[in-house]
Amino acid sequence: MSPLLELRNGTKAYRGVPAVSDVTFTLEPGEVHALLGENGAGKSTLTKMLAGVVAPTSGEIFLEGQKVTLPTPSEALARGIAMVYQETSLVPSLTVAQNIYLSDDRTFHRLRGLYIAGQQFLQSLNFNVDPTALVEALGAGQKQMVEIARAVHHNAKVIIFDEPTATLTPEEKYQFFSLVDRLRARGVSIIFISHALEEALEISDRITILRDGEHVLTAPTAELDREKIVRAMVGRSLTDQLYGDSHGREVRAAGRKVLSVQNLSMGKIVRNTSFSVFAGQITGVFGLIGSGRTEAAKVVAGVLKRDVFHGGQVRLDGRPVRYRVPRPAVRDGIIYVTEDRKLEGFFETMSIAENIYMGALAGGQTKSLTLSMSEMKRIASEWTEALSVRAINTDARVIELSGGNQQKVVVAKALVQKPKLVIFDEPTRGVDVGAIAEIHQLINRLADEGVAVMVISSYLPEILHISDRILVCRQGRIVEEFIGTQADEETIMYAAVH
Amino acid sequence: MILTRLMDNLTGRGEAAVTVPPLDGALRPNRALDEAPVRLKLADVDGLAVAEGALHASSGRALYRLDGGDWTIVRTCEAEITCIAPLGAATLAVALASGRVVIHGGALEGREFATDAACITAMCATGTTLYLANGSATNAPADWQRDLIERNRSGALWRIELTTGETTRIATDLAWPAGLVAADGALVVSEAWAHRLIRIDLSRPAQRETLYPDLAGYPGRITKAPGGYWLAAFAPRSQLVEFVLREPKYRRQMLATVERDYWIAPRLRSGSSFYEPLQGGGVKQLGRLKPWAPTFSAGLCIRLDDDFQPIASLHSRADGDTHGVTSVLEHAGQVYAAARGDGTVIALPAEETRP
Repeated sequence: MSPLLELRNGTKAYRGVPAVSDVTFTLEPGEVHALLGENGAGKSTLTKMLAGVVAPTSGEIFLEGQKVTLPTPSEALARGIAMVYQETSLVPSLTVAQNIYLSDDRTFHRLRGLYIAGQQFLQSLNFNVDPTALVEALGAGQKQMVEIARAVHHNAKVIIFDEPTATLTPEEKYQFFSLVDRLRARGVSIIFISHALEEALEISDRITILRDGEHVLTAPTAELDREKIVRAMVGRSLTDQLYGDSHGREVRAAGRKVLSVQNLSMGKIVRNTSFSVFAGQITGVFGLIGSGRTEAAKVVAGVLKRDVFHGGQVRLDGRPVRYRVPRPAVRDGIIYVTEDRKLEGFFETMSIAENIYMGALAGGQTKSLTLSMSEMKRIASEWTEALSVRAINTDARVIELSGGNQQKVVVAKALVQKPKLVIFDEPTRGVDVGAIAEIHQLINRLADEGVAVMVISSYLPEILHISDRILVCRQGRIVEEFIGTQADEETIMYAAVH
Repeated sequence: MILTRLMDNLTGRGEAAVTVPPLDGALRPNRALDEAPVRLKLADVDGLAVAEGALHASSGRALYRLDGGDWTIVRTCEAEITCIAPLGAATLAVALASGRVVIHGGALEGREFATDAACITAMCATGTTLYLANGSATNAPADWQRDLIERNRSGALWRIELTTGETTRIATDLAWPAGLVAADGALVVSEAWAHRLIRIDLSRPAQRETLYPDLAGYPGRITKAPGGYWLAAFAPRSQLVEFVLREPKYRRQMLATVERDYWIAPRLRSGSSFYEPLQGGGVKQLGRLKPWAPTFSAGLCIRLDDDFQPIASLHSRADGDTHGVTSVLEHAGQVYAAARGDGTVIALPAEETRP
């Protein structure tokens, strides 16, 4: 019997760099197939090819033995392939029923009829969601249910779940798992992306593991255990060449405690987490996406707000601080270097000099009361030289630079503020190999100068290579601490998923 | 100001924040205390000090000396011994619950000094001056949990001139000073209920500099060691206790109606009775179901550098058997810790405790 859905030798490259390389993937009828791998392993790209979100650069897709092309998600949906995203694609200002029937192409909808149909349909799925409720008023779990209901409504034969349980409470997870069982009983095939290995082991029939965009293994779940999966997820050779062996190097001793985060909570993302960051040391924070690392750092830096009631405490040099906006945090010496530089890191149409000067202005480092072009040029040339930003001159627009040089501008904009605590969030994401080494040197130099440095990264070799101590974040809290040279990839990954 | 306090109480911010610092960095948990190669039983052991090259320990009314692995009673006092401290190489100062200080050994052997301090928790000496920490003006050393729950700040420092017998109170309003060490012409005091180490300049005792704020446990006695100091933290802090400490009515009712053994308070040893609240089960804390109950006792010794910053630590975790460490010192290449909660003195090579 031919598989229900098959990707044969699928490759997807972005600007020549393959995100998924020559992967063959099969999905049997009525099967729950878990897709596992580290961040950046290519899981999402693979499923996006199957859901018509992106077109494969090469390779073929077969549905029920027939070769198909899936140019758009609606085409995939029409053929019975639905994808439920981690970030829901629902329209928040519409009701539940309106969202479920949104793409039904009819000229007129009778609202009352929609609600009655929606009520019956949701009840048939055993979902306790009010069809008249606005989606924006729903919790994460209920939104997930509406997404699923929408997929089932379109008679999907294949439903792809991307991290469906990341934002769910234990009770909602239980409901979700029972739904998966019911869908399987109805003959629906499911692809399930998750970082939670226990969940994958519990509900899937087969597991496929990707690493660095390549297929590593596909096996029945009964033949695998957690250790085998973790080993398959992290074993790599390419990265060894880039980052070398972290064992045997000297780790820096901790200086005074600069930052103490105590029982910090922010919604369902950051849950009663506590950690410290010390001067003259690099504290690496590893966690899978959705583990709350970035959000905790953003609360520290005043980008996000903690819970209003009993949201915990942040102490800077022993003094409790609570920032409503980033500006006072910057003035106190806390710098957050964003993971999304294009959105939050720089003003892309402004010049390198203007961007760096902006950082100096924000940090109160300028001497004059008015804007000074000469001071801007002086500061910009100092920092572009110090960080080896490769550009024609400092008047070049940031958007014209390579990823690595853009990141250096973001870093310069941050460091010009003379911080006492720097939080780097994914500092080398989308950066070429040469710039990675330079950025790592810079981070090391900061720590050597006595600055407290925190590096958040999803990339284990980077964490192991650069950190003096490593904190592991899972489900919104720091769960483990390692000394930099005493940890290895498997131990850290085990802590992150166990 | 009042409005801010009300808002803080409502939202759990500022002084009303029910938070506890994490045990990470130099305080990263380990099992070093439980895995110590030498474990010497001594029921109710409290203080440790070295005199005449030998380790001495106090327990109840008796002063013991360690002779080849066995404890020998060298002095029995009229009242409970509350702390001991070395006075030079061959002499010990022994503080009693009666408020008297007795000299053991040396030229002043047997001499007694009367003070108004009835809760002497720690002592240190420089030359012929002995400094005393009086934990509380209203509670005895054995009532330390009551003093915490009452949120007192009635501790004081005293000075005794051993040559003249003159006693002087030199600092007041301290939150249970439980440790004392002389450093660079000043006294460094561990203020247990304020979870910090402070430096008090003897020429200006009203001015206090915080050296190590916001400890994860209740700091106790401090002793000088090669290249730094040792600090014993006799109990861990927990969010549950911090929460109770911010509830005045509950605290009053608990003190009035509940037996001391079952108070929600830190202990030198917990888990010995199933009547104890919240031991070994789940607890809903601040609206969240926690998978385990907070421990009220643990073992923690902190190695400090010369600037009183932590560089390493020795632990006995919730399931360990070296809880309630009230004294720790380094002597002859060994680190000795008195775990009063478990009636044990442990010893381990000092080399193994280096960071």
